[in-house]
Amino acid sequence: MSWLQHHREGEQLASEAEVCWREGRQEAAQRLYLRAADAEERAIAALDRSKTRTLGISVVSAASLYYKACEYERAEEVAARWLPDQIPGFAKDQLRALLQSVWSELVRGEANARFAQGQVLISVRGGEVVQGGAPLDLITEKMKAVASIYYRTAEFLANVSHRTRGLPSRAIQESCRPWLFQAAAGSYQFAVAVQESRQGELFDNPIQPDKVADCFLSILRAGIDDPNGRLAEIVPDSDYRSTFLKLTRNLAPRGNACESIEIRSADEPKALMLDSEAREGLSKTIRNLKTDHVATDHPDTLRGTLRALHLDRDWIELMIQDDLVKVQGVGEQVDDVIGPMVNKHVVVHVVTRGGKAHFVDIEPDD
Amino acid sequence: MTTRSHLPIRDMDQRHPGLTKSIAASNLEAASVCLHRHHHPPADFDVEASDHTILVVDWDSPDPRIRSAWANETDATEAGACAMVLAAVEVVEGLVTIGRAETMTGADYYVAPQGSQPNDLEECLRLEVSGVDHGTNAMVKQRLKSKLAQAGQGRSNLPAIAGVAGFKVGLIVLANLDTKP
Repeated sequence: MSWLQHHREGEQLASEAEVCWREGRQEAAQRLYLRAADAEERAIAALDRSKTRTLGISVVSAASLYYKACEYERAEEVAARWLPDQIPGFAKDQLRALLQSVWSELVRGEANARFAQGQVLISVRGGEVVQGGAPLDLITEKMKAVASIYYRTAEFLANVSHRTRGLPSRAIQESCRPWLFQAAAGSYQFAVAVQESRQGELFDNPIQPDKVADCFLSILRAGIDDPNGRLAEIVPDSDYRSTFLKLTRNLAPRGNACESIEIRSADEPKALMLDSEAREGLSKTIRNLKTDHVATDHPDTLRGTLRALHLDRDWIELMIQDDLVKVQGVGEQVDDVIGPMVNKHVVVHVVTRGGKAHFVDIEPDD
Repeated sequence: MTTRSHLPIRDMDQRHPGLTKSIAASNLEAASVCLHRHHHPPADFDVEASDHTILVVDWDSPDPRIRSAWANETDATEAGACAMVLAAVEVVEGLVTIGRAETMTGADYYVAPQGSQPNDLEECLRLEVSGVDHGTNAMVKQRLKSKLAQAGQGRSNLPAIAGVAGFKVGLIVLANLDTKP
């Protein structure tokens, strides 16, 4: 049999596996993916080695099929076997990325923790970011923002009242703790997996950790694509919606330290992109949420360092050059939105009313 | 010149050797769910490639069982976009799917001229498909721009075409990925 015949057999099996996966029949899908991988290996053996593009595509296909079949060691073996060979650069890049994911899965399997289905992969690109490295403060800030959105998502799914102060409860933190794993090389990437509660079997746990990652992605996507329609359907509570929009906006880059952040499920190819354009769109939506404008208000923008805040007394203070400027009417700003900005450069959108600056919106100036 | 023709999303396995009956049927179901959200059949779709065309798409309204099976919007948009973009490439470029190959995160389609019977993928065009459900025209075009920018970085599997389907706005955009953005 020729390469084409073996490859077609593999395609047929992989297609059936995909349909099984969509129908929620994961074990049947994995068995079919394994058979497809074996067929793809037979195709490679039958191929004229001078057809290097086809060879590269087939090798990636075989390794990917073993990965989808959860046969991680076989995927590792195929990738390692072919990496030194004369296959095209794009195929080597994909095999390296696959190896990172395989090793991540093997490490997760050995960790003394159970992890919910579904990882979220986060890639930070451009600006000061290089392959495999990025400024520490940038990554720390983005990781904290991701963790905040994860915990908020868990609270939302558990029907917890919208939190304005302090950290998420211990119960929330222990039911779905986000972990960080090394992801495939390329820009700066990390993978977030949700650890299931250690006591999940003993106690009633209203939060399903495997739903947190899906919901997290749906909320981010709706916030970017359709904040007034789709997001309102997913998150009917206006306080939660406002917090999710602000946390998402603060996660999105302005384009200086990094140009874009790509977020996707490890199981899906489609990524959502957070860049300066998305950030602008989110900022506009957030400012439109504020409805107490007066006709004589004069809009203005202040840039400085957030030096003080008193959320109970409704003000913040910025250091602008050598002057302390007070902004009133901060209202209900939640700790995990404004807290990370203390002592950092911020942009505060205000309206001037009666000679005083009244708060509209605040965002990091990174 | 603006022309009006049919976007053939039904029975794609009969014209695309690289599509199995089950995948073609699955993609058609997903497309019908996405189309049903925003339009009534038949609906006009603008197709922007090297030229501008308006194609008419027709579908059977999905029953509640089918809509429930495709409740995950991301999965439905992705699979539905496959049907729409592959059909657009068939009409506008005269290319059909002759194969699929798996990647870690999904699968790539490979297309070649209708009637050609390649024995391998050496000269085939890789097709990158993406879908936008609620987004605007600008979002659809931005998605294509991102694909072009990505292809320009690193070592891409070229030659390739990118296609993005915007369901709400009724737009499909196609571009060669070796064209600078």
